[in-house]
Amino acid sequence: MTTPIRSPETTRPETPAAKAAAAAAVDAAAGRRGALAAVLAVVFPGLGHLYLGRKARAALFAVIVLVAVVLGAKLDGNLYTPMQGHPLTYLATLGSMGMGLPYFLLLYPLHYAGDVTAQGYDYGTAFLLSAGLMNLLLVLDAWDVGTGRKE
Amino acid sequence: MSHFLLMVVYALLLSVFFAALWRRNRREQVVLFLQLFVGMVGGGLLVAWLMYPFPSGPPAPIP
Repeated sequence: MTTPIRSPETTRPETPAAKAAAAAAVDAAAGRRGALAAVLAVVFPGLGHLYLGRKARAALFAVIVLVAVVLGAKLDGNLYTPMQGHPLTYLATLGSMGMGLPYFLLLYPLHYAGDVTAQGYDYGTAFLLSAGLMNLLLVLDAWDVGTGRKE
Repeated sequence: MSHFLLMVVYALLLSVFFAALWRRNRREQVVLFLQLFVGMVGGGLLVAWLMYPFPSGPPAPIP
């Protein structure tokens, strides 16, 4: 009497524990992918979406955020930095830093400082702060797409 | 640049951004873009019109 040949798939134990382990491995991979996408999105606007293969969206988001940054700087808006005794500037700094690399490029190599007497100062500040906040939303979106919570 | 033009540019940037971020379907993106853009520009004009009768007062001192 011959025994039937069984493929590896059919011989693999499909116990609940094995299924849970496989699901955990998939979740861990998705988590790593989402985390990397989020980190890349923090570094530069649109980079997280580019990593996830959303090229058109990455380009659109990068252009929007960078246009806001350039307009804000051209209008001599305020690029927030922490000021002692003004707790709200810490929040505003975090928001502005959300734009990633452009914030540090403006601040250090370019020594950018807004001009409070400029006509477009308030508008420029709004553009710069909005650029940072928009990119923070992109970080969350990249995280969601990377982990599979969003398509 | 005039205040109105800057307001329109700001509304345009934000409307395109949120339409692309929150909607995947092209038709839904256009609808949301129009809602946001008209809401922001129209809302700004409405507030400006409501504030028109009030005197602006002396300019604020520059800190």
